[in-house]
Amino acid sequence: MTEAPPDAPVMALDRLVAMANQIGDFFAPYPPERRAEGIRNHLRTYWEPRMRTALLELIASGTDLLSPHVVEGARLLKEPAAQQKGYYGPPKA
Amino acid sequence: MSVPNPIKPETSTVTTCAYCGVGCGFRAETHQGRIVRMTPWKDGKANHGHSCIKGRFAYDYYDHPDRVRVPLIRDHIDEPWRETTWEHAFAETARRFRDLQARHGVRSIGGVSSSRCTNEEIFLTQKLVRAVMGNNNIDNCARICHSPTQFGLTSTVGWGAASQHFDSILQADVIMVVGANPTEGHPVFGSLMKRRLRQGAKLIVIDPRRTETVRSAHVEADLHLALRPGTNVLVLNSLAHVIIREGLYREEFIRARCEWEEFQGWAALVGTDRYAPEVAGPEAGLDPEDIRRAARLYAGGPNSAVYYGLGVTEHSQGSTGVMCLGNLGLATGMFGREGVGVNPLRGQGNVQGGSCLGSWPHVYSGYRFVTDDATRLSFEAEWGVGLDTEPGLRLPNMFDAAMAGSYKGMYIMGEDPVQSDPNQSHVIAALKAMDCVVLHDIFLNETAKYAHVFLPGSSSLEKDGTFTNAERRVSRVRKVVEPLAGLQDWEVTMRLMNAMGYPKTYGQPGEILDEIARLTPAYRGMSFDLVDRVGSVQWPCDENAPEGTEVLHRERFPRANGRGTFMLTEFVPTRERTTDRFPLLLTTGRILTQYNVGTQTRRTANSAWHPEDLLDIHPEDAALRGMKDGDLVTITSRFGQIRLRARLSDRVNGGVVYTTFHHAKSQANNVTSDLSDWATNCPEYKVTAVEVVRVAAAADRASVPAEETARAERVLEPGE
Repeated sequence: MTEAPPDAPVMALDRLVAMANQIGDFFAPYPPERRAEGIRNHLRTYWEPRMRTALLELIASGTDLLSPHVVEGARLLKEPAAQQKGYYGPPKA
Repeated sequence: MSVPNPIKPETSTVTTCAYCGVGCGFRAETHQGRIVRMTPWKDGKANHGHSCIKGRFAYDYYDHPDRVRVPLIRDHIDEPWRETTWEHAFAETARRFRDLQARHGVRSIGGVSSSRCTNEEIFLTQKLVRAVMGNNNIDNCARICHSPTQFGLTSTVGWGAASQHFDSILQADVIMVVGANPTEGHPVFGSLMKRRLRQGAKLIVIDPRRTETVRSAHVEADLHLALRPGTNVLVLNSLAHVIIREGLYREEFIRARCEWEEFQGWAALVGTDRYAPEVAGPEAGLDPEDIRRAARLYAGGPNSAVYYGLGVTEHSQGSTGVMCLGNLGLATGMFGREGVGVNPLRGQGNVQGGSCLGSWPHVYSGYRFVTDDATRLSFEAEWGVGLDTEPGLRLPNMFDAAMAGSYKGMYIMGEDPVQSDPNQSHVIAALKAMDCVVLHDIFLNETAKYAHVFLPGSSSLEKDGTFTNAERRVSRVRKVVEPLAGLQDWEVTMRLMNAMGYPKTYGQPGEILDEIARLTPAYRGMSFDLVDRVGSVQWPCDENAPEGTEVLHRERFPRANGRGTFMLTEFVPTRERTTDRFPLLLTTGRILTQYNVGTQTRRTANSAWHPEDLLDIHPEDAALRGMKDGDLVTITSRFGQIRLRARLSDRVNGGVVYTTFHHAKSQANNVTSDLSDWATNCPEYKVTAVEVVRVAAAADRASVPAEETARAERVLEPGE
């Protein structure tokens, strides 16, 4: 039986990367600012905190697995200014 | 089983059918304490006295000998079950859950609720997880069917629910059915639709298969777009392209009711040449002219209504597909009156309720975010405990986390994830990795093989509560017979809460609905008294609409600025592609006489009509593989293999094969992929690349051998 600490990753990294890039694909047609906010808000509202942490750690490691949109959006998770009410889809709804 | 005729029932109880999202009203009649007849209720506002073959006849599962009547427990899944008392089952479950949390953290356990349960039970299950377990690891089965509906419709029109009541279809001039087969999946609504079609309404069907809906007695679709599985967004964008480029949109409506700038952005996207029917059509396997005709017909109305099902949602772009439908309705002004709208056909009896009542890791009842302080404070005040501020794990993420070793136990209410969830071997491995799986169900289903505690549930004929159907209609579920195991499901969840140290009790489920009403704006006016008095009530029900609301969005959309909006729905092809090794696309669905994974209907005489799941394959594809009708074949994907009998059929196009998933032995989800919707993780059941090969000799089926099932279901005799 696998034993893991409470902060152990939720899922294998390849699945996490695939999910993140799918989100990036959806927001790709939006203008850059809204695209980044949309990705940030989606991750903040729907992703369990350990999944967000794993994503940020991956970005910090200098990965090339993630689309640039995802990297831009995920970075906003660390910016207090981007804190706002969660909501569906892109900003300015 | 035989009852002398004529049946002279002694009691008659009005209640609501649990089989599908139509939610028909029935009179359940009993004779000497047993249910002997289900008579469709003439005053039922969803069915007006009609019924289908499931609701009318498939009820005797309720006292089937397989029903479990006492709680079962064991320490390891390779041991036989031991019968136990309710008291011990609750105490032991609570002890094991608390022990796991002490060792692995507060977030190491969670739960999942069922759309076969009542609103009150679903609400209570999320309360158990949030208030008692202390985290947001709560999900419901809509995750694997209509979660994209909630996401896609909320983002465009504000509420993730049908905009219309069923009867609204009788005002529709054009009916567009997308990825749904109402004549088999939602038969009573299907009949209503056929009635309108016979009166002259036009029908557009967008579906890879030539279903009953496309052609049946006296009804034939004017246009059938038999698209390749996985191209919904491409085709819907192409319809939008025609509406934009041919100037068929309604500017007056958009300017008055929607965000005009967002419309312009969307129009620019779908107006590009890559969505022109002449480009998109061939990619989707369609005649471009059919796309143009469909777009003109839909936009022309004057009243056009969309009805859609899991053929839209269960894709890697499921949420995007739903947004496409919202966009189309807004652009053509098809909202806010009778005969129009965008309407999901919900699968199980109470999926809408399951969605409304907070069984989600990210929202409380009424679709309000756990990250929103004001909402969370209102729940904390009512429940008297602090609540987790972070979203929890979604059902597939729970299984992921179990594999990673950080998720150790769960309470599964009325679900069978082993059979119903994708990538079966992954689900089984995840369940085996958990230390305490508590299954609350009426039968020892496939998941029971991996459970440590089994709490015997009550069917919808044995309990009180409410269901919310696909048209947002809240109807009463009434106890017809006593629960076989002694407790109604809400009592089981409540007593588990109590055993885990949360003392709140309810005398009857109406008190739970009152609590829902206090905490949920759209249900504010709901109560047993109101529903009993007026028969059924569609939400939103509040001081402005004291007896509920039939048609949504009449004057404003329920968004902050009251306007509908357009989402940019770029087509992103699924990663699941056909290859030389897997050249066919498998899609799945269901048929009229059976229900879902069949736990109930397989235990009734309805199985005479559907003894096994078959693989529909086009005769040319079959000929290429040396296959005849009735041959046993293997279906192999990147994920697994199953065996079924082939049925040669021109209901599917070449390159596409189809099966149902009603029988456990077929294990259709052994082959389905691990891909999922980008926004909600709703699995991509509708597209799996496969190869089909004839089995030379009659070999054993690729299923769990009978003796293994018998061992897994074994219960120790007293004294053994």
